[in-house]
Amino acid sequence: MRREDVRPLLLQATDLLSEPDLADAAWAAGLVVNRRRRRLTALSVIAVIALAVVASILIGTGTRGRADITPPPTPPGYIESSGKISGIDFWVAPPPGSERFLDRLETPLGDRLDLPHKVRPLAKHTLHNIAAVLLVKHGDRYAPLLLGADGSWVQADVGLAPVDNGPPLSPGAISPDGHVAAFPQPGALVTVDATTAQIARFPLPGGDYLSVSWVADGRWALVGGRDATYQVLVGEGGYGEDPVFRVAATRDPNEATSPFRIQTGAVMRYMFNGQWMEDNPLTLPVRSWQGQTFSSITGAARVFVSETLPQVPTRVSQPQVVAAISTLSTMPSRLLVLGEPQDSPPTQEGAGDRPFVREVGCCAVLGWYDDNNVLFRVRGWVLAWNLDSGRVRRVTELGVDQVALGPGLRP
Amino acid sequence: MRDTVDPDFASFVDARQGRWLRTAYLVYGDLRRAEELLLHAFTQLSVRWARVDDPDAFVQRLLYQPALRPWNRAKPFPDDEDPIRAALAELTPAQRTVFVLLHFEELTEFEVSDLLGMSQTAVHANGMSAFGRFRTALGAGDWRDAR
Repeated sequence: MRREDVRPLLLQATDLLSEPDLADAAWAAGLVVNRRRRRLTALSVIAVIALAVVASILIGTGTRGRADITPPPTPPGYIESSGKISGIDFWVAPPPGSERFLDRLETPLGDRLDLPHKVRPLAKHTLHNIAAVLLVKHGDRYAPLLLGADGSWVQADVGLAPVDNGPPLSPGAISPDGHVAAFPQPGALVTVDATTAQIARFPLPGGDYLSVSWVADGRWALVGGRDATYQVLVGEGGYGEDPVFRVAATRDPNEATSPFRIQTGAVMRYMFNGQWMEDNPLTLPVRSWQGQTFSSITGAARVFVSETLPQVPTRVSQPQVVAAISTLSTMPSRLLVLGEPQDSPPTQEGAGDRPFVREVGCCAVLGWYDDNNVLFRVRGWVLAWNLDSGRVRRVTELGVDQVALGPGLRP
Repeated sequence: MRDTVDPDFASFVDARQGRWLRTAYLVYGDLRRAEELLLHAFTQLSVRWARVDDPDAFVQRLLYQPALRPWNRAKPFPDDEDPIRAALAELTPAQRTVFVLLHFEELTEFEVSDLLGMSQTAVHANGMSAFGRFRTALGAGDWRDAR
């Protein structure tokens, strides 16, 4: 037998087979397979999602078989309060000299706030949002330097007279929308609109004015003097509105603040018609108040010099306290006691700044970074106190004497 | 995948189904199994009809590779007295598959090697031994006498 003989033999072996017809049957079976595969894919996706959900629940369940679905009662980095003063929780601030080692809150102010080297004229470079205002002295006049949210410095083309033999800069100078800075002047209020470079002067009845605070709508400013306080229309006025009217007397020019002012015995609410109304009674061991009151949506903050506190003993200074008083009944008030230098300050070379005593007058509230962070000044530093966690962070080292902070600080 | 049979697919199947059914019958020695495997191969092809580059090789691999699997040990051509089918039944599955593909499908050793995933040497050895045993079973003498 040769190889060529094999194929005829094999053909002979399959002679009796009939011709199949498989095309339709194969296509129909293919359709079924296709549908089954799609269904299987969908079911697999559902199963994977279900497994992921079950796995996440099991991971969260832990060993006790109980899922921890309630959020933690305190935020990350929470510091326990040190006790209570007049029924209000208080924390003790990091001691003087340790500010440089605090965590930093990023702002356009940078690490250190000095008079800038490069300043552009406001007329050529307007700002959308003011982050800070400084004053630079030229002879016997002061020129305002404005820091924008973008970190650029501009100088307004106006000369400001000193008030009370000092720079005419009030911590509340910047309007709530960050567009305008206002400066108290003898017998007037001067405003600088950073968005248009427009300078405006609003004459007031005679006398020195020392402080400026803005009404929340950004159209009105409260100008506080030793003898009188006025509400001045700075923005667009409505028909029949009196552009300047006198506000009920306050004991201190710095107390003319809106919408709240913290004073001994009460938190007062400004009624926008020149009158004040008691919002909440307040019992604190206050010897004197320092600086202005700054308000957020949920509270108001101001620094006071305290009577001697048994909870925070001091040896050489009178304790000063940042009071963050809640204006909502559901939220607690909080206090931050600015302490004295530690008993054993850092001794290593360069391990810290020379500790110093925080003298009365060194410290004041400068504003709110947001609803949870109060910005306040201590000697040589601007710090931020987080009300939720109790942590204090450094904002910037101060290379200038006076600064006003605005909403442009926020990102 | 369309609901009605693709005309190209139908033409492809119609042109090959008779020949491949006969080949599969000789490889497996079981007509029912050959039909099942051929239908399965065509079904798989229909699912991938638009994406398969070489449909002939795709179907033939699905059709013949199961013959080499070790659990494929059903006796071929049971109770068949035809001497040719009986001679095929005496071959091992690998020998029968290679022998049929070489002599019935008239593929080259290289093509058989590619289809079955077998080395060309193994294909050659299986082909030679299968031819010798087939000849001997049919009383045609030793394979070394073949030309």
